[in-house]
Amino acid sequence: MIRDDLTRMTKVEVVVSGSEAHSVREIFRSTGATGFTSLSGVSGFGHGGYHQGRLLFNDQATLELLITVVPEERVDALLAGLKPLLKESSGVMFLSETFVSRPEYFR
Amino acid sequence: MSPAATTANAADPTEVERASLRTDVSLAGSILSRAWPLENFIAVNPLGALEDMEFSAAVKKAGEALGARGTLSEEAFRAFHFEGRILDDHLLEALESRHSDLLSGPRIELGETWFNPAELLLCDLLTGRPAPPPVRTNTMPSERIYPQVAEIVDEQTSKWCSAFLDQDSAGWRMPGREQGFYAAWSDLAPRDRSLPPAVREALRRLPGSADQALLEALDRMGIARAQRQSCLQAHVTRMPGWVAHVRWREERSDSIDLLAYLAMRTTYESCLIEAISVKAESIASNKETTSDSRPESSDERAARVANELRTAQTASHAELATASRLFSRLPVEDRAFIWLEAYESGYRNELLSRLGRPARQAEFRPRAQLVFCIDVRSEGLRRHLENAGAYETSGFAGFFAVAIRFQKLAGGRPTALCPVLLEPRNRVSEVAAAGADQAALREIAGHNRIAGAEDGFHEAESHLASPFVLAEATGWAKGPLAAARTLFARPYSKLRGRLKDRAIRPAPTVIDVESGFSLEERLLFAEVTLSMIGLTQGFARLVVLCGHGCTTDNNPYKSALDCGACGGNAGSPNARTAATILNGTELRATLADRGIEIPADTWFVAASHDTTTDRVTLLDRHLVPETHRDDLLGLVQDLDRASAGLSLERCKTMPGAPRIATAERAARHVEGRAGDWAEVFPEWGLAGNAAFIIGPRSMTRGIDLARRTFLHSYDAAIDTGGEGLETILTAPVIVAQWISCQYYFSTVDPVIFGSGTKVVHNVVGGFGVLAGYGGDLKLGLPWQSVADGDRLVHEPMRLLVVVQAPLDRIDSIVGRNPLLQDLFGNGWLALAARASEEEPWMRHTESGWQPWTRTEEQNDQR
Repeated sequence: MIRDDLTRMTKVEVVVSGSEAHSVREIFRSTGATGFTSLSGVSGFGHGGYHQGRLLFNDQATLELLITVVPEERVDALLAGLKPLLKESSGVMFLSETFVSRPEYFR
Repeated sequence: MSPAATTANAADPTEVERASLRTDVSLAGSILSRAWPLENFIAVNPLGALEDMEFSAAVKKAGEALGARGTLSEEAFRAFHFEGRILDDHLLEALESRHSDLLSGPRIELGETWFNPAELLLCDLLTGRPAPPPVRTNTMPSERIYPQVAEIVDEQTSKWCSAFLDQDSAGWRMPGREQGFYAAWSDLAPRDRSLPPAVREALRRLPGSADQALLEALDRMGIARAQRQSCLQAHVTRMPGWVAHVRWREERSDSIDLLAYLAMRTTYESCLIEAISVKAESIASNKETTSDSRPESSDERAARVANELRTAQTASHAELATASRLFSRLPVEDRAFIWLEAYESGYRNELLSRLGRPARQAEFRPRAQLVFCIDVRSEGLRRHLENAGAYETSGFAGFFAVAIRFQKLAGGRPTALCPVLLEPRNRVSEVAAAGADQAALREIAGHNRIAGAEDGFHEAESHLASPFVLAEATGWAKGPLAAARTLFARPYSKLRGRLKDRAIRPAPTVIDVESGFSLEERLLFAEVTLSMIGLTQGFARLVVLCGHGCTTDNNPYKSALDCGACGGNAGSPNARTAATILNGTELRATLADRGIEIPADTWFVAASHDTTTDRVTLLDRHLVPETHRDDLLGLVQDLDRASAGLSLERCKTMPGAPRIATAERAARHVEGRAGDWAEVFPEWGLAGNAAFIIGPRSMTRGIDLARRTFLHSYDAAIDTGGEGLETILTAPVIVAQWISCQYYFSTVDPVIFGSGTKVVHNVVGGFGVLAGYGGDLKLGLPWQSVADGDRLVHEPMRLLVVVQAPLDRIDSIVGRNPLLQDLFGNGWLALAARASEEEPWMRHTESGWQPWTRTEEQNDQR
């Protein structure tokens, strides 16, 4: 299979308001995630209705998508931090299996 | 699953516990907004984290968490009613708005007289026993069982935070600071001989990480997992000032975070409690504090109202019970919100009725067009300038849409000049003008000499031995100088200015925009700015972009008086940058292809409005073409007249200003205040701000708005897609709402949300102020920014946003921006709108647009 030489890991994607993104990044960092990708000004539609994307003069009011990939042993800690945080906010989280070609980058 | 997938490893339970702890800390701290340092004093809504709640619910929550008041007291509102500032009609309007179900109920008989529910509720509002002040209910363990321990924890917090957060302004630098707060503190704390030996011994055994220390401290106090967040929040709300600033720091530096701060506090608390042998069980199980004072019951209210209406003797128990049931549906603590809404109605109805009758505007070719910041202080200057001659003025956010990091010619740290909602997008430098290299070098040398002399003097002041020598050497001059500075503030200030001008001769400079902005960025800026202002045709020969700043001496809150849209800095560099871009020939050629043709004889000039002295200085005059010199001279004369007129107007409101003053005397007076190092009221800043008006100047021209309204120019006919309005509502309105809330909460609770009186302020570490020598870092504005003695100068009301634009466009913008839904839907902002000047004002409500109640009804009847 083409995935034979890949390593299985867990991808966590979080969509939160710009003002809450710092707390999410802190949880990523403190639970040993070695990096993350951040997309600010994301737009979309959800239970709270439509969310405008990028605004001209306001970087904080829009939603931010934060993505990190961690090995299995770090997932529980990450969830222990993220779940209560998201319970108190309007953010959402997606967790999925993923495969990486350079596992040493994520450990 | 892939066969090569790695085997799952077991999660480390300690890691899980620490992640959970970090989130508890984050959630505990989230009740407070971040507090910027003094040098960039950014107005914030102290309850910003609660904006997803309805305003009254958020205020109640803050009352319980912080013990803070969220409205004026009922006594204060009743005094306004007595003075006629609040009328019965306003109260009825507020009752109708908040409790229409109560008003529509049946009439109630009391002692053979029938009353409408409104009459009884009105009587209760005017005579009921005021609601008790809010009490902080969630307290630290030690507060409940051993208050002295809590006081020691606070003292230690203030001491270590002051030392660690110092921005190199102190002579002594906290050892080990580079290792971060927790490491530096845990190294030094055990050596503190003011602590009992047992506590010092416990501090010597601190773990290596802050999260472990926090877990151990909570464990020592027997705080169970379920109580953890509550306990942490009690520590957060005990000293909200330090926490608000730590929260700001933690987003910008790894050296300190809320977790380390709480680790320190809980460690002290747990060790001190352990040292005095209080059983941990008694702490954990201790009931939370409750207030002794209770609000008046609905039965008591019914009896009181019957008495006030002179029916107490004859009213039956059944009648009183009916009245009591009515009052039970309006809790005592909700009365303040009715009073607040009534207080707001008085101002808002009056404002909208005046905007409803716009002055007819004569057709004229303006001598010049001037674009000012939306700041409420610009309104006065615009009004006086329009009275002085045929000028057209507009309002736009004072950073003029250039979010820059600015490097001055003299060097130093570049400054972010844009709203804090944004990160600076372009780096811009001030450089020598053509042929002025030598003059620029001389200016830089002058700055260096002055800075060197000041550094040397301050170093000598703070060194161990040199202060004695310094006192001997300079004391003879310092004393008389201090006396002169106090007694002859204006001449002293002018002399000092002249000496500085001799030492630093300003060189002609320009803003290098081509290095900082690509042509496409400059085009985008020009299109956005001119379209949003509504200035896309009919350009005058001179178009002035006027930023603003203040002049004040010995005032830690200077930044609060500067431009909020420029991150608490003066906005001149932004105005210069914007003018330079708009004068670019390449830009104009390309802009014309996109439909905005700036005539060849139009010149953009940057200017600066000093809000303390009312003076307007035209900048970069060396760049103005010879052909425009006469236009410029005429403008300068009219600006001088407008400034003097504004000074005269402002002197009527300034404490200690001459009662009867000529314009010239008033101008001298405000100049004196600006240079007086003992002046606690240099100007009123944005006190009085109450509304944000988005629309063409024809709505407001010729109306004295008393420097209380933010004015943003907007032409709905140009902005057909609504992008301009969306930008205004999601950025300038947000900054104005922060300012409005800062003034509001600093007025209603000057101790918790404001910084109290300036008289006892001590600047600490260059980043904040303390009242006296210790305690909590003060948040918000000083009392002297909102009041003169017992007289409120700022009327604490929520901001009214007034928009002239199609209502469906506004609905569409609010519908796609959750932030606006929160602010308008939860009562943090009010919204009034009309599609055009011919239409009546409408109120934005949960159930759609409704006529602006009484005002519109009265207008309809006319």
